[in-house]
Amino acid sequence: MQTTILLVTLVLMAITAAVIYRTIFSTNGPVEVEVVNKTRTRLLTGLIVVGVLVSVASLREWPHASAGADTMVVNISSGQWWWETDTTEIPAGQQVEFRVTSEDVNHGLGIYDTEMRLVAQVQAMPNYTNKVVHTFETPGTYQILCMEFCGIAHHDMITEFEVLGERS
Amino acid sequence: MTSAAPTATASAPGDNPHAGIIKFTMLLGGVVFLLMMIFGLIMRVAQGGIFELDPEIFYLLLTAHGAGMVGSAALSGAAIMWYFVARHIELRQSIYVAFLGLFLVGVVLILASIFIGSYGGAWTFLFPLPALSGGVWEVWAAVMFCFGYVFIGVGFLLYYLEMGLKIRQHFGGLLGGLGWRYLFNTADDTPPPPTIVAASSVLIFNTIGIVFGAAVLAASILNLLVSSFAVDPLVAKNAIYFFGHVFINATIYMAVTAVYELIPDYTGRPWKTTRVFIAGWAAVVVFVQAVYFHHLLQDVAMPAWTMAVGQIISYGSGVPLIGITVFSLCVYLRGANVKWDLASSLLALGVVGWGLGSIPAVIDGMVSVNKLMHNTQWVPGHFHTYLLLGEVAMAFGFATWLVGGKSEQTEMPSLDKLVFRAYVLGGAGFVLIFLWSGASSIPRRWAIHYAEWQFQSQLASAFALIVVGATLALVVKYGAGLFRKS
Repeated sequence: MQTTILLVTLVLMAITAAVIYRTIFSTNGPVEVEVVNKTRTRLLTGLIVVGVLVSVASLREWPHASAGADTMVVNISSGQWWWETDTTEIPAGQQVEFRVTSEDVNHGLGIYDTEMRLVAQVQAMPNYTNKVVHTFETPGTYQILCMEFCGIAHHDMITEFEVLGERS
Repeated sequence: MTSAAPTATASAPGDNPHAGIIKFTMLLGGVVFLLMMIFGLIMRVAQGGIFELDPEIFYLLLTAHGAGMVGSAALSGAAIMWYFVARHIELRQSIYVAFLGLFLVGVVLILASIFIGSYGGAWTFLFPLPALSGGVWEVWAAVMFCFGYVFIGVGFLLYYLEMGLKIRQHFGGLLGGLGWRYLFNTADDTPPPPTIVAASSVLIFNTIGIVFGAAVLAASILNLLVSSFAVDPLVAKNAIYFFGHVFINATIYMAVTAVYELIPDYTGRPWKTTRVFIAGWAAVVVFVQAVYFHHLLQDVAMPAWTMAVGQIISYGSGVPLIGITVFSLCVYLRGANVKWDLASSLLALGVVGWGLGSIPAVIDGMVSVNKLMHNTQWVPGHFHTYLLLGEVAMAFGFATWLVGGKSEQTEMPSLDKLVFRAYVLGGAGFVLIFLWSGASSIPRRWAIHYAEWQFQSQLASAFALIVVGATLALVVKYGAGLFRKS
């Protein structure tokens, strides 16, 4: 997913940069006012239409998944500079709801898979319990890293849990 | 409009009565930019494992780099906008001196809190971290840091008050300055100049942003002094990110006035205030305030509608930028037979870098993407694009013009070409590696990187070194220009 996001971004940036470069260094100008106005109207209209389509497509199904009836709950508390979970073994294929809070400052719960790829995250905030729902498909050792700067040992705030092979 | 506004005629840098103090400000800004880039380089080198840096020092540098870069961007943006607004209306230099004095007091307090008091809570002072250092810094250091911000904020309020009063006086109220009368009254055929529209817009939203910043700073200071006093951390985070987002964006919106005022000297085509231009700025006033929710997309305690608003307005913010500012730059430059010099090249780069930087920003503003990119290096990736290749480029473009004017040479000198290309190449490489690192899930603000992340940091360090070299050349050229002129 992250690679796709990167590629889409780079392609959009490259196309935009190429169009700007070509226009700025074009010797074919100045362009008539009517043409400028027409082109700008089309550009603005196009941007708005794309924006509406992308917004509808990406928000119609709410990106933060809700927990189902058979969801396993994992409670995680945090502090400078530790994580504490009430479960360290999660079955693969099981939907999990992480309920995350902090006892002192803001932290960020980042769940990394066996290839150190971020698969889910949510903020850990004092006085609040934030929830993130995820289903692990691949067994292995997953890591929790802190994603919100929280002081001198921010980079050491790490723990692990296991995702076990799917239930038979 | 109640009174006719003086029109912009002065194009030589020395014609502006504020030129002297603005030159001094840009010198300060340029030197601090360079110093903060060196701090950034040190952090990337340390993340690359090239040498060991104590995490405490790393996070001090991180705090100084963040506060210093935001501060220099704000200072240079403010200097640019003051200079160009003064082309159209009279501004009292004593107010600018007071602003600069308050700003410098704030800088001294911030530097002392970091390098004497060891305050390393990042420039975002996310509540309640300033009060919970884990024994690294004392309460007084965090209080001093917060007061440093307060001084800078008060300076800015004074600055905007003067600008607002004078715009009101000359353009028949702020609505006149914003151009809204022209927008809605077909009989009005005298719109305010683009710089005045920009200044009116910025002073409105940045004043609101600073007020929110002051409120949360006051709460943080109270919390530091009386630990039983606490505010809701989610409310505090909203206020901090509202203030922080508005303030950093205001730096670019102030700096772009240099493009409005100087690019016409190169193209021979005035940057016009059209109805679309005014409508675009009206949208900016709203969007720049409503968009901050995209910083809280992983705070799921926030109402869902705020996240949808954050995503939609993130995209919306890019529309006037790409569809009006970048588009207009292209139209004005196309076929204008511009004789490029270092100043105009940097100014154009600033707009292009700003526009391109909005693309990864908008993508990160999508809730579904943010789940995977939030607080990874994707975030510094996009904001370095529109700051390093945006605001900072505009600031150095203005500074170069300020001491050298528009070059009369038919071709850009080889050394200037080299410096410009090095800045673009180094900057582009540097920001693209941040984006790549974000897509590799490397978290931001980590003092120590795992071995498998270090290659990217090493590569980024090489590009950062090129940027630092180019920036050093820009600062030296500016200093030499100052010396030559004086």
